[in-house]
Amino acid sequence: MVVAIVRRVAILVISVLVASIVVFAFMAVLPGDPAQVALGVNATPELLAKTRQDFGLDRPLVEQYLSWMGGVLHGDFGRSYVTGEAIGPQLLDRLGVTLWLVGAGMLVALVLAVPFGALAAVWHRRSGGTAISGLSQLGVAVPAFLAGILLVQVFAVQLRWLPSGGWTPPNQDTGEFLRGLILPALSLGLVQGAVLTRYVRSAVLDTLGQDYLRTARSKGLRPYPALMRHGLRNAAVPVVTVLGLQLATLLIGAVVVERVFVLPGLGSMLLDSVSARDLLSVQGIVLVLVVAVLVVNFVVDLLYAVIDPRLRAAR
Amino acid sequence: MKVRISAALALLLVISACSAGSTASVGAGPDTLAVGFTAEPANFDFTRTDGTAIPQALLYNVYEGLVKLDADGEIVPLLAESWTVSDDRRTYDFRLQPGVRFSNGAPFTADDVKFSIDRVKTDWSISIKSKMDVVDHVEVVDPLHARVVLTKPSNGWLFDMTGRVGAMFSPTGVADLANTPVGTGPYQVASRTRGDSIVLRANPDYWGRAPAYKTVVLKYIKDPTALNNALLSNGIDVIAQISAPDSIPQFENDTRFTVLQGTTNGEVVLSFNGAKPPFDDIRVRRALTLAVDRRALLDTAWAGRGTLIGSMVPPTDPWYEDLSGRYPHDPDEARRLLAEAGYSDLSFTLSVANLPYATAAAQVVASDLADIGVRVTIEPLDFPAVWLKQVFTDHDFDASIVQHVEARDLTTFGKPSYYWGYDNPKVRDLIASADAGTPEQEVADMRAAARTIADDAAADWLFVYPNVVVAKTKVTGLAANQVSESFDLTGLG
Amino acid sequence: MSTPLKGRTSPTLVVGAVLVGLVVAAALLSFAWTPHDPLKVESTARLLGPTGDYWFGTDKFGRDVFSQILVGARTTLYVGVIAVGVAAVVGTPLGMLAGMSKRWLGEFVMRVNDLVLAFPALLLAIMLGAVYGASTVTAMIAIGIATIPSFARVARSGTLQVMSTEYVLAARSAGRSRLWIARRHVLPNIGGLVIVQCSVSFAIAVLAEAALSFLGFGTRPPTPSWGRMLQESQELLTVHPRLAIVPGLAIAVAVLGFNLLGDGLRDRLDPRLERR
Repeated sequence: MVVAIVRRVAILVISVLVASIVVFAFMAVLPGDPAQVALGVNATPELLAKTRQDFGLDRPLVEQYLSWMGGVLHGDFGRSYVTGEAIGPQLLDRLGVTLWLVGAGMLVALVLAVPFGALAAVWHRRSGGTAISGLSQLGVAVPAFLAGILLVQVFAVQLRWLPSGGWTPPNQDTGEFLRGLILPALSLGLVQGAVLTRYVRSAVLDTLGQDYLRTARSKGLRPYPALMRHGLRNAAVPVVTVLGLQLATLLIGAVVVERVFVLPGLGSMLLDSVSARDLLSVQGIVLVLVVAVLVVNFVVDLLYAVIDPRLRAAR
Repeated sequence: MKVRISAALALLLVISACSAGSTASVGAGPDTLAVGFTAEPANFDFTRTDGTAIPQALLYNVYEGLVKLDADGEIVPLLAESWTVSDDRRTYDFRLQPGVRFSNGAPFTADDVKFSIDRVKTDWSISIKSKMDVVDHVEVVDPLHARVVLTKPSNGWLFDMTGRVGAMFSPTGVADLANTPVGTGPYQVASRTRGDSIVLRANPDYWGRAPAYKTVVLKYIKDPTALNNALLSNGIDVIAQISAPDSIPQFENDTRFTVLQGTTNGEVVLSFNGAKPPFDDIRVRRALTLAVDRRALLDTAWAGRGTLIGSMVPPTDPWYEDLSGRYPHDPDEARRLLAEAGYSDLSFTLSVANLPYATAAAQVVASDLADIGVRVTIEPLDFPAVWLKQVFTDHDFDASIVQHVEARDLTTFGKPSYYWGYDNPKVRDLIASADAGTPEQEVADMRAAARTIADDAAADWLFVYPNVVVAKTKVTGLAANQVSESFDLTGLG
Repeated sequence: MSTPLKGRTSPTLVVGAVLVGLVVAAALLSFAWTPHDPLKVESTARLLGPTGDYWFGTDKFGRDVFSQILVGARTTLYVGVIAVGVAAVVGTPLGMLAGMSKRWLGEFVMRVNDLVLAFPALLLAIMLGAVYGASTVTAMIAIGIATIPSFARVARSGTLQVMSTEYVLAARSAGRSRLWIARRHVLPNIGGLVIVQCSVSFAIAVLAEAALSFLGFGTRPPTPSWGRMLQESQELLTVHPRLAIVPGLAIAVAVLGFNLLGDGLRDRLDPRLERR
């Protein structure tokens, strides 16, 4: 068991390193001169050369990479070429916002998917089950930003119940923070919930047909408690797997939702940095996002092994 | 042990998450005003960073100059109580306001005037610094009397002093201009959250009339619809400039808001790269100008809001003349001219700034030119990063669309090195003599220059960008016309 | 196992096929005829509601919405086909390789797979867009690369199953080469799974393209694109909601169609999965 974990950790570390090299190499290939971007128009060649030196751009690529990664491992992501500000603190701040958004979205999705998915499975031959199934199919087909646009229109602009965007930190004004999180979380969560519902449904359906469940029923136990005890634990397996797989999709959704609701998250920072050709920032953000996905997949892998004892034994 | 570490980590994560996004906090209240903008300043240093976002926030609010422009575009006193001009129009004597202090406590004297003006030549790196080249030297006559001597008479110099080049700095306050601006204005920068807002607080020791709003939050919302929604859902009080004109009617019909529409100095220009074929041929430029129906373009791309012009002069300039009829919409004539020039099968790339007005105008231009058999490929370029490099610096473009927001920028046609490569010695001479001559001469010469570049079809001036301000009805003192780079907060109530 | 049994044709398959057929028909039709030129700006016909001449009305440039939807279908399918094609052509052999090789090679391939998975399509598209200027092509390539891992995974798991059947064991003991086994046994048997994945990935590709166009990293103006139509509709949402609903519906129809088609195909190819 320990060997398996250590092996996984080793793979994670190697993956992160390789990812960092890929990201760095990509940025190095990017056309455009960061010194030019920083100085704007009317920069003299001498000033450009000096700025390039200040940024360390005249060093060999390998040295630049090592220096960058070295800094990153200490939490120092360098200073933006465009704004001159330290990237690290801003990254952390924005990451926090995105994490809240993604977390809240996931919560909404689970709250929707678990009961509805289970119901759809139990009723799978009845019209109620088909209805839920159909709705979930529809939910999957709607892009998260469309849901967001429509929600803003109805709840913020027309009804004025909720703000149309913006962000209040939770420790500053919890009420405003929650109000501002509802619509973005719903936009992400409704779509995500539809996806999850289908997985929960199929997992529970599987369980409904399992032998031990039939045995429990035949012993005279009522089906629903049996379902609770054995079925949901089994259903947790694919749900957890899907959560991990869906993280990438959720990140996509978060970037777009951040745009629609003007949330100062990592996604909007990425878009702004790319627009401004702020290459060092883009480098840092991409690295953080990629590492986040790798870490989550790693955690999901571990959880998978923990939740499903049959698989654990097989390892 | 494992559990304790992971619990501690989790706690740390939660604590940091609780304050996520909190690098600035704003309290709402009757003394607070929230104004929404689309373009966020990269930093606070407009002496080295180009673009209008920085002076929009800081000019007249945090920094002041000797003079400023009032809502009607007239030059009025600010840090200079009064001034006199010598008979040879080369010497300006400024009497300064007494009792003025910078936000760091340093007093404002004539030494600071000398320091600030000298500094433009030595420390500024953006192109507008050339406006101070005409200054020969600055004398400190006494602490409240500064004398500026020009190398030759210049009509434009005092006007330029109302802009960012005229901002007054203190030697004690220039250490970190990018992050800590130190000015004499009614507001100071209290804090900023990147990607979100800048908070200005009233300077308690301000020499002039205290502003009505003690706190002003400048909110930066890139997306025009989100900006509108913020006003509609009470997130902000004012939209400084609407950039989605089709959405204006919903505010006009809403009694909660007032809509002001005026002009700006921003000419939206369809520029041709006159340094390379086919645009070096005047017939081609004229043909393309004739092919575009500018009235329809304004109506379609910008909901009819804006003013049509025929040259690089907005209606608010003293030498304005309505030349918008110089090239009436005539696709047949356009086709004929193209054929005559030998370009019956023309295709080119339209590299435009990736901003709503430019991409909208580009689509109309492409459609109009398709009517005369010209194929246009639209290439949106991120603005300012990519556009500035590719089009403005490297001149690597065929045609482009961008808004020129500088005041009185007809003078750009007198510079052959400007990105559109227009080189006409006659225009250069007219512009030079306009600056050096008497005010009446200036008007006449500039008019002649404007007419000449229109005849040369040096560019296609699509329209003057409108200034549409939308605010809650309780906010007063907003200006309809945008006369300077500043979003002037001082007159609001 | 081996040859897929003929499962029943479920209503899901039919509905999916019909919806997909609609989209394909729209795209094909647009090559031959559209009611109006979707690129022609008509300043007198701005923001009209649905009329006999303009079935879905016009946008703020006076361009016919219906014609834009038809031509936009082209973009949608174009992106989907290329992206899924690239992903299938690269990912399937990769997955087969992983399933048929020695343990360490298989592991290695799957780790690389996970690495690619860590770069979501949006991220890749944004990065490519920054280098080459955003366009339909960068979107296609980015989505394609990001979809490779799904195909690799599906191919691998299918290959592993096939490798453990008697037919294959027999072939291997008879000394058949890997390549022969791959061609003769693996490919035909995982073919169904790959096709299902194609359908599912197509749906995801459509959503990704819409998101990218919405953010401005997809198709350039004025080429019609459903995602960009959504983005352009935003400022007029209060007054002309139809401008968002129509492209939104088109996207939903396409995604729904491909998802249902995938589900239906899965039903048909492997009746054991019928209940899903």
